[in-house]
Amino acid sequence: MNQEKQMLLSIRNLRAEVDGKEILKGIDLDVRPGEVHAIMGPNGSGKSTLAHVLAGRDGYDVTGGEVLFEDHDLLGLEPEERAAAGMFLAFQYPVELPGVNNTHFLKEALNAQRRARGESELDSVAFLKLVREKMQLVSMKPELLKRQVNAGFSGGEKKRNEILQMAVFEPKLAVLDETDSGLDIDALRTVSDGVNALRSPDRSVILVTHYQRLLDYIEPDFVHVLADGRIVRSGDKTLAKELEERGYGWLSDGEAA
Amino acid sequence: MSTADAPATDIDRVLEAGLARAGQDAANDPLHALRRSGAERVRALGLPERRQETWRYTPVSFLKRAEYRPFTDGPITALQLSDIEDLLLDDHRGARLVFVNGHFAPSLSVTDGGAGLRIASLAEAEPDTFGAEDAAQYRHIFSALNAALALDGALIEVADGAELEHPIEILHIAVGGDEPVIVSPRHALHIGRGAQAGLIERYASLGESVYFDNVSLDVTLGANAELTHQCLQQESPTAQHLVDLDVRLGAGSRYRYTLAALGGDWSRSDVRVRFDGEGASAELNGLMLARDGQLNDVHLDVDHAVPGCTSVETFKSILDGQGRVVFDGHVLVARDAQKTDAALANHNLMLSRSAEVDTKPTLEIFADDVKCSHGTTVGELDKNMLFYLRSRGIPEGAATRMLCQGFAEDILGRFDDPALRARASRLLDERLAPTEE
Repeated sequence: MNQEKQMLLSIRNLRAEVDGKEILKGIDLDVRPGEVHAIMGPNGSGKSTLAHVLAGRDGYDVTGGEVLFEDHDLLGLEPEERAAAGMFLAFQYPVELPGVNNTHFLKEALNAQRRARGESELDSVAFLKLVREKMQLVSMKPELLKRQVNAGFSGGEKKRNEILQMAVFEPKLAVLDETDSGLDIDALRTVSDGVNALRSPDRSVILVTHYQRLLDYIEPDFVHVLADGRIVRSGDKTLAKELEERGYGWLSDGEAA
Repeated sequence: MSTADAPATDIDRVLEAGLARAGQDAANDPLHALRRSGAERVRALGLPERRQETWRYTPVSFLKRAEYRPFTDGPITALQLSDIEDLLLDDHRGARLVFVNGHFAPSLSVTDGGAGLRIASLAEAEPDTFGAEDAAQYRHIFSALNAALALDGALIEVADGAELEHPIEILHIAVGGDEPVIVSPRHALHIGRGAQAGLIERYASLGESVYFDNVSLDVTLGANAELTHQCLQQESPTAQHLVDLDVRLGAGSRYRYTLAALGGDWSRSDVRVRFDGEGASAELNGLMLARDGQLNDVHLDVDHAVPGCTSVETFKSILDGQGRVVFDGHVLVARDAQKTDAALANHNLMLSRSAEVDTKPTLEIFADDVKCSHGTTVGELDKNMLFYLRSRGIPEGAATRMLCQGFAEDILGRFDDPALRARASRLLDERLAPTEE
């Protein structure tokens, strides 16, 4: 890939614990602008932990290593500062916010990010125009905007709502945590189409997934296999095919031998 | 402001000052008998003590910290509409009755509220309009004190069958002086048989002074009448506030009450609802905010005396710092009140571990064919929700306020008046925001 481009995300020997138990045992990963990386691995390998550590969730103790986002220390930032810097996490289980209107939430969030970056806020008219445009990307029913955030949404609607947020915030890096989980094939296609439409030379994506099937729809530039808190193998998209055929066992065994 | 060595309030002196002020012309005073009966009851009851169950968590220590006197300056006439512009509701088109320090202010008010509406001022009532109240009418010393000190109030009557297009607003404004005062407006509202009306009851202040707003409001609904009653309490943070709301519901009538009690140093809403006729319904909703140092109390007394009535009580509170909330919800279903349907709920959101909520929902049921439920929750802000909002770029403080608005939404959303709802929501946001240094 393009070596001259500045690195967007650079993870060096990242170690993290949850409740005193080490989950990430030295992760190294480089993501350049525009690249799509898939991180695959069996349950308990640390995939979701990595996603949450990047987003800044409480309860994860980083015990070693560093994460640079456009050459700045990402781990020293609050979650909201990471969002404003251009980092987005699509949740595996999007949170329901009773009583909070979806449009209001989206607008407040976008404007909070814009304020933090020193940009002007969007007024209601400009915002609604933007949202309507972005909603087409994820084929979302307009009435979902009037509802309370994720409350009573179906699994597919919640995931679409995540991708809608990604479309509205236009992050530099989107980490999609098991976005394919719980989706039927139609929803998977819609969500993938949305992500693909958002691919650009300025936007990188990390797909965290257990299954290869998501990669049939969103084609990654790189595939990494995470096992027991380390990346044990990296390759191109053919690695995913290989994993589908052979499972994860052969990699861990190889590591042990 | 009170100081450590300020004298405590002497209730006898308060009564003397109140009666002296009013009593110059006892023969022509329409409220004379009322005041006497109130004063008598005040003396008999004395100040509440902690061992009295209904005051156990609501100490009236503010009366010991400073010497309160009845407000005796008479009507404040200097105030102009432009002075209270910020307090007016946008697009309010019905009657607006403004009371400044308990006195009706005609120049700030609009009394034309449509056909079928009659409004009078208590101060101008005919002699003998009010007899002595039965002592049992006074639920506690403060309702008796209101009668003893009563000078003015609104007497509102909606004629049988009338349908008011716009709600009637009663706007209380406190204008501070240097000394702590007791303000005692006394209102009565009657909705005639089959009539429909709305009431917006508001409390606000110009400036921050120490005053005790001690209000009495009697509401009666005739058979099949309908009233939507919305109350926004945004008293000064230095004020004390008590409303004694007494509601009587005729057969088949419908009463909807929504309260947002956001202000005051000390606030208590005593809401009593009595079903006098079958097939009536009452929906009571409330949001209480208790920030650091604030005490916010709601006492409900719902009396299902007759069969076939429905009541739904939903009260929520948000507590921060060392804020305190008291909720005492009492629903009584009498032996004859078969087919009663009652649901009582109280939900509390604690933003701080040093806040305190004392909640006591009680269903007392003597009938056997009823549907009654109650539920209480006390919880903290959900960490997942907070992280979700922060991960979208919303800083922690704003995220907390957004979740509080979400929590409050199913109460504030019941304000029918959009301007009132927006104002309540904005006030909640402002009062939850960290105070500027």
